Amino acid sequence: MKKMSKSARIGKKTSNVFVHILLGVLAFIWILPILFIIMVSFKSDPGLQVRTLLPDVILQKVKLSHPDMFANVTRGFIPTLDNYKKLFTDTTNVFNFPQMFLNTLIISIFTCIISAFFVLSVSYVMSRMRFKMRKPFMNVALILGMFPGFMSMIAVYYILKSIGLTEGAMIRVALVMVYSGGSGLSFYIAKGFFDTIPKSIDEAAYIDGATRWQVFTRITIPLSKPIIVYTVLQSFMAPWLDFIFAKVICRANKDYFTVSVGLWNMLEKEYIYSWFNCFAAGAVCISIPIIILFMVMQKFYREGVAGAVKG
Amino acid sequence: MKFRKVAALFLAGAMCAATVAGCGKDSGSSSTSGGESGTGSGEEEEITATITVWSPAEDQSIDNGEWLQTMCEQFSAEHPNWNLTFKYGTCSEADAGKTVSSDPSASADVYMFSNDQIQTLIDAGAIAEFGGSALETIKENNSDVMVNSVTVDGGVYGVPYTGNTWFMFYNKDIFSEDDVKNLDTMLEKGKVAFKLTDSWYIGSFYFGNGCTAFGDGTDEAAGIDLTGDKAVEVTEYLVDLAANPNFVNDADQAGITGFNDGTVGAFFSGTWDYSNITLDADKIGVVACPTYTLNGEEKQMYAFAGSKAIGVNPNCEYPQVAVALALYLGSDEAQISHYEARGIIPCNLTAVEDEKIAADEMAIAQNDTTARTSVMQPLCSKMSNWWTPAENMGKAIIAGEVTKDNAAEKTEEFNEGANNGVVQ
Repeated sequence: MKKMSKSARIGKKTSNVFVHILLGVLAFIWILPILFIIMVSFKSDPGLQVRTLLPDVILQKVKLSHPDMFANVTRGFIPTLDNYKKLFTDTTNVFNFPQMFLNTLIISIFTCIISAFFVLSVSYVMSRMRFKMRKPFMNVALILGMFPGFMSMIAVYYILKSIGLTEGAMIRVALVMVYSGGSGLSFYIAKGFFDTIPKSIDEAAYIDGATRWQVFTRITIPLSKPIIVYTVLQSFMAPWLDFIFAKVICRANKDYFTVSVGLWNMLEKEYIYSWFNCFAAGAVCISIPIIILFMVMQKFYREGVAGAVKG
Repeated sequence: MKFRKVAALFLAGAMCAATVAGCGKDSGSSSTSGGESGTGSGEEEEITATITVWSPAEDQSIDNGEWLQTMCEQFSAEHPNWNLTFKYGTCSEADAGKTVSSDPSASADVYMFSNDQIQTLIDAGAIAEFGGSALETIKENNSDVMVNSVTVDGGVYGVPYTGNTWFMFYNKDIFSEDDVKNLDTMLEKGKVAFKLTDSWYIGSFYFGNGCTAFGDGTDEAAGIDLTGDKAVEVTEYLVDLAANPNFVNDADQAGITGFNDGTVGAFFSGTWDYSNITLDADKIGVVACPTYTLNGEEKQMYAFAGSKAIGVNPNCEYPQVAVALALYLGSDEAQISHYEARGIIPCNLTAVEDEKIAADEMAIAQNDTTARTSVMQPLCSKMSNWWTPAENMGKAIIAGEVTKDNAAEKTEEFNEGANNGVVQ
């Protein structure tokens, strides 16, 4: 390495300091809302008002030395786990959060399996096969993808109603269908990835007598772990976080509410005061399955197609 | 070539969509009559039916003793000839307008709604008009104010079971019973929180000084009257009020939070906030709205008052059962048990006289508000223009955009917006 002159080193250092400060500030701004919700979920006073997030110990010290400061705040932030406890144990009153959590989990797991399969299959077909409708289909898919999904919500509701899927336990089936049915259309990213896997590998397999299905399951899938992780995460999160379709299809069937519908109800005029902290706790809780899923699958991100083709 | 294929696909898609939309409309607006036949419980034919009932979640919660389920079972026991199965759904009164109207044919047979939803429900063909003996029962058991709150164009559309309005909660340590008669007296002694940026509340000052909304609340042609000096004076008063150091604008629940930790002496809200108050019960005072002093004269604040009521879906299979159930859920007996379970204040004339309710301070305040210090919340469709301009007016006053110099101009804009839906 070449030695830098002293002035150049100082110049580099100052610009580094400046960049780091800027990044630090931006990171803080970006993370603030998340931090806020997490803090609120541990708040002990009910209600929407967040007077202070200063810990009580510090606040009381400040008040001792400067009695004028924080005049209308009597207590500081005392963290408590009660909101989480209430969320998961207060099931006989208005909201049955564990039930909603379970509903959402069931729907998301099934949707995740089905729609990940759809997306990967469509992508494989689009990437590897050549047929007459291929180009037009890709164009139509691109255009259809530009419309927001909820545009069709009323139509979807009436179709599901006419085949009797909007009552009772069938609501779960209906939601799985809604979330996974159209997912095949979002094949673009996975297709792009499949395109980067050399065709020569497939051809080598065909020569050895493999069928298309075998090529897909034995060769393409093992080579595309990063994109599979991405697809699985996406197809899990879509139903996990969706509000509109759940709201339209569940209507008044409380037993089949998903988490997002339940959380939305917590913000109604009658409940917001006693349930706002639980709302924040619920918001924190719903991120947990996504984090677990991500952590489990993260290690596959690193394994790419490196070393797949020899010679 | 490519374009043609795409176009063909789109056309096919459009046709499918049209077919489905057609289906939807058919099933949505089937049979809007029915439900008008009142019930005589004399000789009942044998009926086996499943009745769907929607109510807020608290009515069905185990913690509140499953009020709705209990009532429905009792109703079933009173009608031995009817073999009824009940299905329950949750839908708050405020949401009923949207949720029921979105698909009346697949909604509850009997549901609860707040009376400002009535027009939406009528437009969607989702609510039946009461007639015959049912109508008489409703009129017999309720005050005129309550009956009017569920009447549109002469037709009665619901069985009222509680008033829906707001009044004042105050801390007895800070204010005396004499103080709470006048808002300005209160402001001299302690902090008062008022929802100035909420259009359900801000109108009360204007109505106190002679402004009106649709005449007596039913005259659609009269419009909203916020003209002339009477409205400008109020705007000027509100500018002063917002600048008063003892005034707290009750946004994002500043009122109740401050009330609980003692930093706010009084705030304005309704029955739903009572259970959220953590002060000792003997410190909480509840009264109807106070007066305010405008240019030396005492003016009464008038709150919007409505009701919550039980409605019947015209698409139900057995209207006679649904109507009977609606009347039963709105009967004095059911209202008293509703009060015991959840503190829902009855409005039924017999139920109000019950000794427990006659002694309840909040019940007195609510019924006093409805009878004396309220204006009926108009039900006509033009009322929808009121909400956004009124909220904006409150926000502009709090933000200091409205001053005494431009009060006249801003009030005129408010009047224009509230009448013609011009939102600036």
